[in-house]
Amino acid sequence: MPDVPKMKKPDAKLVLLGDMNVGKTSLLHRYMERKFKDTISTVGGAFFLKQWGPHNISIWDTAGREQFHGLGSMYCRGAAAVILTYDVTNWQSLAELEERFLSLTDTANHDCIYALVGNKADLTDPKAHLCQDSDVLSEDRTDCEEARTEPQVLSACPTPPASPASLSGMLLHKQVAREDAVALYGRILRYKGLDEKGSLPADRMCFETSAKTGYNVDALFETLFDLVLPSILRKRHENQASPTVDLEDCREASGKRGKSSCC
Amino acid sequence: MSVKAFELVPAVERDLLMGDKARINIECIECCGRHLYVGTNDCFIHHFLLDEVTSSKGRLSYSAQKLLHKYLGLKKPVAELRAASALERLIVLCDGIVFLVDMVTLESVPSAAGGGVKIRGVTAFCINENPVNGDPFCVEMGVLSSKRRTVQIYMVYEDRVQLVKEVNTPEQPVAVSIDGYFLCLALTTQYMILNYNTGASQDLFPYNSEERTPIVKRISREEFLLAAPGGLGMFANAEGASQRAPVNWSESVMAAAVCFPYVVALDENFITIHSMLDQQLKQTLSFRDGQVLQDVEGKVMLASTKAVYVLVPLPLERQIQDLLASHRVEEALVLTEGAQRNIPKDKFQILHRRILQQAGFIKFGQLQFLEAKEHFRKGQLDVRELISLYPLLLPASSSFMRCHPPLHEFADLNHLAQGDQGKVLRCKNFLISYLGEVRSTDLVNGCRDDVDTALLKLYAEQDHDSLLDLLASDNSCLLTDSIPWLEKYHKYFALGLLYHFNGQDAAALQLWIRIVDGELRDSTRSDLYEYIVDFLCCSSNMEIVWKYADWALRKDPTKGVHIFTKRPVCKGGSEVNPDEVIAYLGKHSQALLLYLEHLVLERKIQKEKFHTHLAVLYLERVVSLLKTPKDEDQLTKAREKLQAMLRESHLYRVQFVLGKMEGCEELLLERATLHGKLEEHDKALHILVHKLRDFPSAEAFVVWASSDRDPLYRQRLFHLLLGVYLHDAPSGCGGSSEMEMAAVDLLNRHGEVFDAVRVLRMLPENWSLQLLRPFLNRAVRASMHASRTSQIALGLARSENVQLLHDRLKERRKPIFVSEKKGCHLCHNTFSEPSVVCLPGGVPVHVHCAAQRVRDSPTKRQLTNSSNHT
Repeated sequence: MPDVPKMKKPDAKLVLLGDMNVGKTSLLHRYMERKFKDTISTVGGAFFLKQWGPHNISIWDTAGREQFHGLGSMYCRGAAAVILTYDVTNWQSLAELEERFLSLTDTANHDCIYALVGNKADLTDPKAHLCQDSDVLSEDRTDCEEARTEPQVLSACPTPPASPASLSGMLLHKQVAREDAVALYGRILRYKGLDEKGSLPADRMCFETSAKTGYNVDALFETLFDLVLPSILRKRHENQASPTVDLEDCREASGKRGKSSCC
Repeated sequence: MSVKAFELVPAVERDLLMGDKARINIECIECCGRHLYVGTNDCFIHHFLLDEVTSSKGRLSYSAQKLLHKYLGLKKPVAELRAASALERLIVLCDGIVFLVDMVTLESVPSAAGGGVKIRGVTAFCINENPVNGDPFCVEMGVLSSKRRTVQIYMVYEDRVQLVKEVNTPEQPVAVSIDGYFLCLALTTQYMILNYNTGASQDLFPYNSEERTPIVKRISREEFLLAAPGGLGMFANAEGASQRAPVNWSESVMAAAVCFPYVVALDENFITIHSMLDQQLKQTLSFRDGQVLQDVEGKVMLASTKAVYVLVPLPLERQIQDLLASHRVEEALVLTEGAQRNIPKDKFQILHRRILQQAGFIKFGQLQFLEAKEHFRKGQLDVRELISLYPLLLPASSSFMRCHPPLHEFADLNHLAQGDQGKVLRCKNFLISYLGEVRSTDLVNGCRDDVDTALLKLYAEQDHDSLLDLLASDNSCLLTDSIPWLEKYHKYFALGLLYHFNGQDAAALQLWIRIVDGELRDSTRSDLYEYIVDFLCCSSNMEIVWKYADWALRKDPTKGVHIFTKRPVCKGGSEVNPDEVIAYLGKHSQALLLYLEHLVLERKIQKEKFHTHLAVLYLERVVSLLKTPKDEDQLTKAREKLQAMLRESHLYRVQFVLGKMEGCEELLLERATLHGKLEEHDKALHILVHKLRDFPSAEAFVVWASSDRDPLYRQRLFHLLLGVYLHDAPSGCGGSSEMEMAAVDLLNRHGEVFDAVRVLRMLPENWSLQLLRPFLNRAVRASMHASRTSQIALGLARSENVQLLHDRLKERRKPIFVSEKKGCHLCHNTFSEPSVVCLPGGVPVHVHCAAQRVRDSPTKRQLTNSSNHT
């Protein structure tokens, strides 16, 4: 029997949000393909299916460019987890999360999980510099080093401006401290009207990663997969409880929820 | 980078429509079966009959036949045409008015209520292709009007339209599409989903209607395709979520349609075709002055301002083959698998398998074996397709024919590798591992011979360790085909295994013997001789065993005899008759000896013949060693064996062996043993004491001869020895004191065996008490012990007697009733005579029952025994 995956509706949705050039596509590539490669600016969005145990989890990579900003809330609709990504060497990228992206998550599930991820940690943190994957060749590293010298958007950042970026492997100034991310996480919870005690703690949900070296990337995705499992099971349970008979498995109760979501 | 997924075929040429009138343009088209309707900017509807024509070369073309054209009389362009085939009506939008015309006559339909069927002030309308209302004789239509922020839902009947619903929108709607209750709307600044039944709405995303014309295209149940900012084609479902990643169009896309698995979009100059499966641009066709793009019944129709075209999808298989031809395996597979739901299941399986197999060969050709294997496995490749690539691997008898059309472009492995021996080797190693994996699966059903033979050839050629495993286990290697290969690579041992597997043990043995004898060279096993012995040992074919055992025994009798001694004892199987073996081993004396030892000592076969034979063989060996006194050590060992045999066995013919020993003066000890066996203890002791003067042996003899006998016998033997020591001593000679010392030692060591009184009488008067002290001590102690034991027994018996007397007295006091109605406690019969026995406690029983009881009672029996002692 050919074991062709049917176009099945994924059990849960996970969305990567964040300003352009923070490395959303690279994070996803690193996780799915175990590689760091040059990516071009994402157009619109893309998605991957990840089999996690018996469940299908769709991971949506969104475009960070302002132009596609309007599509964000559509991608977030019904999301079980949102990864808010920033660049640790760029204070503005963190600020943008709060200013532009947080409101996009209004359409996500009420029990959606939020993770704050500071990418490019290899540029500031020696321990993230260690390759975790053996398949990262030094050659492709130098390539990306050059690719990384894209114009640093110097923003009206509240922290002192970064010292000039070093080109030869010296560490860049870290503009976003972990505490800043933790503080933002707290504000996200408040924005969502969530009780800080009842929610997942900030130290579990704030990550610093490097798509280039693979640092913390698997931990990020796998933590989130494990955390969304309960919501998958709950959703499944609700569907089983509903008296509706689904003739097609892949279209489970779509009409029903369409109505309820906009009351 | 491109695929040819579609072909643009002209349907209605310019001259058929407007001739050379330059200002007439096509505005809209509609197709319904073979009927094609074209609306123009000069307010005409043209009606054509469109026929597909397939040329002899398989090329598709269309022939259009003009049936009718009709002026609608409004002097404005015909903006929109939609067919309602069940009603035989065309719904027309022209000059802001929606009205119905007859599909055949193109005449405007008068309303049933008089007056025209007209809706005024309309900017756009759409038909619901998936209406909730199931009435086949009406069509649901969504209408946008120019003045109001509303969407109106009408039911269109043959001769009337009826407004059924009107829903408000937050902004002026620009475009609409319907599925079920869901309206997908393009408003002035955003797209939204609106449920006209419940009024619930869902914002999708913003856009700017001034910058670009919106597209809202229903593509399947509850799924729409929208033109998003940045030239994106976004998918949205009725819930307002996106389940597919967007496709990347140009900013100027004016129309789009889906022809699974492709999204076709039309912009000013091009038709672009993206795959919905991987979002990649697959094909671009140049198309100037594009006006309309519309999917109709599985194909896509297009119109430029002057002509109508059909975008005909190429057969899926052809697309896939094109992809494979350019080695784009992954894309081909994505396309195949994406088409699964559009193809009947059985047909899909066949197609999918074939594509996987082809993909596998492409990967194989690129030496990407992991992927190749995966594809072969999933595609359930007939393994022989792969084997046939390797010259000479398939057996000559194989009926295999390569599949047609071929799965790959390679003639054979050499063609593939272009003479690169490294590549050839890698391919061979791949085949080895692949065949090894599949040979135990269902994949090789029906061609097991071919697979196993190919594997054998590869193993032999590559000098692979698994060759022997293959042959030693269940296999289907073809003998005729394998022999030359194995011989070519000097795998004679393996060939022997194959012979054996095919039941030709004789051939196998001949081959192996030739290897051992050095005629053939094959170093597979350094212990091949042992292997042969083992083989013969386990072989149940006695004919073969008899035939080849001789060779093995000549080579090494000690190991060769294992053929017989180590035979597995099989239950029910025919045991080899030992007599036959013994007869067979006649000329191999050493092997015979070992075999008899095996029978007698290991298997403990209790047969006089074997025991005597073995004893005689031992004896002969000792005798022969005696004649050539070289190795004392060997002699001692041989004698020990003989002695042990003579002592331990009770079965051999003593007289016969004794006769054989005549004239062997050296073997006195053995003779003594034999005399002992014959109970001629005096002769034996005579030899031991007088001839050998070996007193320890004499003592050991007595102990041995009296073992397992009763104490009296034992005593008799010890007295006999003592007598020999004391009386047969040649008086006066120096030996007498020596023998006396032996006698003293005997007494002191085994004092308890002797009858002390008799001994004391026998002993010479002059012996000192001191000399015999240990003996006397022991004798006195033994005697004391006996006397005390008997006293205890006596006391116990007395007390029992008193006890019984007591009971008797007690019973006498009261009467014991015996009647004919009373039963005996032992046999439960009634009493018939007055004489009874009273058991302790006054229980009357029959006399014979009481007697019986006493006889049976174990305690009583013991008692009688012990009384004997006392």
